[in-house]
Amino acid sequence: MSSEITDDILLDIHRRMVRIRTFEERAGKMMEDGKIPGALHLYVGQEAVASGVMVHLSDQDYITSTHRGHGHLIAKGGEFTYMFAELYGKATGYCKGKGGSMHISNLDLGMLGANGIVGGGPPIAMGAAFSCKFRKTSNVSISFFGDGASNEGAFHEAANMAALYKLPCVFVCENNGYGEYTPQANHQAIVDVADRAPGYGMPGVVVDGMDPIAVHEAAGEAIARAREGGGPTLLECKTYRYYDHVGVRGMGLSYRTDEEVEQWRLKDPIVNFEARLAEQGVLTPEAAEAVHEAARKDVDAGIEFAEASPNPDPAAVTEDVYA
Amino acid sequence: MSLFGVVANPASGKDVRRLVARASVFDNQEKQAIVERVLIGAEAAGASAFAYLNDPNGIVASAVRENRRLCAKPLDATQTRTALDTITAARALRDLGCSVVITLGGDGTNRAVALGWPDAPLIPLSTGTNNVFPRMTEATLAGAAAGLIASGQIELREVAAQQKATHVAVADERPDLALIDAVLSRERFVGARALLHPEQLDTALLTRAEPAAVGIAAIGGLLHPLSEDADEGLLLRFGPGGERVRAPIAPGLYKTVEVAECRAVQTDERVAAKGPGVLAFDGERDRSLKPDQPIEMRVARTGPWVVDIRQTLELAARKGLFRMEAPGARRKTAGHEMAGHNRRA
Amino acid sequence: MAEPQPKPRELAYVAAIAEGVRTVMQEQPDAFVAGEDVAEAGGVYGYYNGILKEFGPERVFDTPISEEGIVGLGVGAAATGCRPIIDVMFMDFMGECMDEIANQLAKMRYMFGGRATLPVTILSMAGAGASLAAQHSQSLEAWICHLPGLKVVMACTPYDAKGLIISAARDDNPVIVVLNKMSLAMMGPVPEEPYTVPIGEANVVRGGSNYTIISFGRMVHEALAAATQLEELGIDAEVIDLRSLQPLDSAAVVASVRKTHRAMVVHEAVRFGGFGGEIAAQIQEQAFDYLDAPVARVGAPFSPVPFSPVLEANYVPNADRIVAEAKQQLGL
Ligand SMILES: Cc1ncc(C[n+]2csc(CCOP(=O)(O)OP(=O)(O)O)c2C)c(N)n1
Ligand SMILES: [Mg+2]
Repeated sequence: MSSEITDDILLDIHRRMVRIRTFEERAGKMMEDGKIPGALHLYVGQEAVASGVMVHLSDQDYITSTHRGHGHLIAKGGEFTYMFAELYGKATGYCKGKGGSMHISNLDLGMLGANGIVGGGPPIAMGAAFSCKFRKTSNVSISFFGDGASNEGAFHEAANMAALYKLPCVFVCENNGYGEYTPQANHQAIVDVADRAPGYGMPGVVVDGMDPIAVHEAAGEAIARAREGGGPTLLECKTYRYYDHVGVRGMGLSYRTDEEVEQWRLKDPIVNFEARLAEQGVLTPEAAEAVHEAARKDVDAGIEFAEASPNPDPAAVTEDVYA
Repeated sequence: MSLFGVVANPASGKDVRRLVARASVFDNQEKQAIVERVLIGAEAAGASAFAYLNDPNGIVASAVRENRRLCAKPLDATQTRTALDTITAARALRDLGCSVVITLGGDGTNRAVALGWPDAPLIPLSTGTNNVFPRMTEATLAGAAAGLIASGQIELREVAAQQKATHVAVADERPDLALIDAVLSRERFVGARALLHPEQLDTALLTRAEPAAVGIAAIGGLLHPLSEDADEGLLLRFGPGGERVRAPIAPGLYKTVEVAECRAVQTDERVAAKGPGVLAFDGERDRSLKPDQPIEMRVARTGPWVVDIRQTLELAARKGLFRMEAPGARRKTAGHEMAGHNRRA
Repeated sequence: MAEPQPKPRELAYVAAIAEGVRTVMQEQPDAFVAGEDVAEAGGVYGYYNGILKEFGPERVFDTPISEEGIVGLGVGAAATGCRPIIDVMFMDFMGECMDEIANQLAKMRYMFGGRATLPVTILSMAGAGASLAAQHSQSLEAWICHLPGLKVVMACTPYDAKGLIISAARDDNPVIVVLNKMSLAMMGPVPEEPYTVPIGEANVVRGGSNYTIISFGRMVHEALAAATQLEELGIDAEVIDLRSLQPLDSAAVVASVRKTHRAMVVHEAVRFGGFGGEIAAQIQEQAFDYLDAPVARVGAPFSPVPFSPVLEANYVPNADRIVAEAKQQLGL
């Protein structure tokens, strides 16, 4: 069982959350202003999940992400320069401009990619977990996926195999209540995805995904268990995305009420966490503001780097297809 | 004829103790099936209507769809997915004049009911993790007991006993309540709620200390057993200098705990402590205390009335309440219109 | 073949799709629409707008994100008397449901000795050009044209979109209607009444005497633009929109090539192993003696679809690439 959380970890979680929020707010705006091509799925609102999980990991631990992947990469240590360059489609981006938002990745950080295929991540994470075990490391592999993705056959196959082979894998379901514009009640007959865990032969846990400490504690247990050879866990984090499925305003469909969004914003992972850290004397408001300011500066620098970066050579289109 | 109430906690049986302590996942389909059996039992015992917390997982609502013979009234409660839902529902059930409330959950669920309705008449069914308060009972029979009480065939006071509660006064803030254990821990955050770090424990005040329980109640129980019937509480001050006890602080989790002081306290005797830390009630971290923020705890017999199901059904048997009349026989008395529908037929 | 005379009413491609679906739902009581976000949201591209409202939730419903389940639902329902319209949001997601498509839907009738009938219509969105990268931009028609038992059509105009959907739904075979996301806003004449675009008949969209460009899907428009440019080089190109890949109207292709003696195939999909290879092969089989030059092929390079607009622009074939390829083919 992991011991009591230290101030350093608290500040680390806070910093990761702030970095995600700051990056996403700007990226979203830039997409809607037409400065970033393609489609961005923003992680705003869900920061506690990526941050609470990722502080337990090293660069040698793996994660798979989703179409909503910026937050996962940032929490795993992604640099804004290369991230913005990728969103712009520049040659200096993490994927040399070939992947964009939906495939943003950095294997050096153990980040096995955002994924355009819903449900694409869990089998890959399971495979990476197999590799951790096969190579006799004590590393783990985490699969982030949504409530919607939990309906893909791929997820079920991965969960079954991870439990069968007792792999060091944690399936982190970010249940934000919607798959695109479809509320959970219209896409599955259950409310707690974790209810399925016993059916695969693994423990299932539900935590408040708006509370970074709750996520941190539960993820810590699951990851420790995985590292010790105890097998996989299904960890469901109840969370919410503040913005539309794609972009900020997105398609402007009325599939959820403003009131609902406001209710969830009251649980804001950053605002509430800062209040508690202030109470504890761990982080003064001034120190918190400095973290925000540093993140903003990093965003500015990232954008500047991206804008100054060259486009890929058009001939590069056929490079990188084979090893 | 009065209403009975149903409160099913969708969050019970799912927290981090599944992982840390190998506790069972209590899935919502199972909870729904339990509610269905409650309704069948209540109906068989003569109930005709009930009110329920319309939980966001739709546990009771789904059971209602399967049983349309009873009149079902959803409460206007919040759907915050927090204990607040249960608290407001409990108040609403009281205001509706419910004669008895069936709860599905663990100690925490019943505590939430008691926060809304301190002396609620309860039939607690266990679908949680640390369950000292609710018991493992077949839901059909719990439903039958509720039906007998709601239909007026059996008096609540004949079959129920009032429980103790620990009252917690928190300086400058709202007071709080625990049914089994109120604990001050030196942890800093509520986090994943479960109370899993005995080395952080500071003070606990128990309404009962049971050797055959899991949780904080077990620590006391293994040192100084104290039953629900005794009109006193048990104070534990943790730390070195006293006894060491190996206790199951959660299902599947034994820990060695150091207890500096362990003694019985009289009802209404005040026990003082102060922050910083978190207050945990009935096994779950619940709220944080600022440095030096004082609290005062005391045990009193002011808690819910809990129905003894066995006693209720034995009484029903003695009164012949489930006895069917011979086919074709005429009803002897016309006045007593409370029997089960099988008798009405 | 004479098309019905279109009325002057113009409709966007996206609205024409919706009108095709509406028509089918009106004429076929056993038809229903199932797919991800097709009902309440009206489809992520809006081409089911109004369908839920008109036909109700029993016949128009949102499914879980379970492509294999969705297509399987269509197969099972069709085998037992329904006429499902199944939406596979992006053609890329055929990966998720390929077993249901390839091993069940395509083969069931044959395996059962002709006793099963599977009137399934699958609508799916293909095409690059929106910076949606490798998993949301592909043209994978070659995958499904290789599967005996399926019909495959591609609509490049609003008119064809509506007409092909109606034909597909009236057909007793499984038909996959491939749509293009870059054409959604394209306007074109669409008659209000129901009409069909026959499956298996190519459409000569531009007459020409000494060159044939065979294309389908959105590339037809690039082929037409290229034909205009080629005029300046003295090339009078005929442009054929295949519309239906399976069955393939090879007669129309062969007839044109016998007349023009030179041919090029253009598609958006990766050139290598693309459907163009089949057409080139058929031409050399059936019109070898008429050819004055090898059949040219224009398609995407052998790589996944890149994200960066710069790379994507260099990836998706266009009129300039067609002209350049023609010049090279003809030694101009
Ligand atoms: C295989 C597949 N099917 C459908 C889609 C289209 N799509 C993209 S995101 C999404 C919703 C995913 O919902 P969820 O897993 O809950 O993640 P969230 O968007 O809520 O983070 C859908 C249907 C896709 N990208 N891949
Ligand atoms: Mg979701």
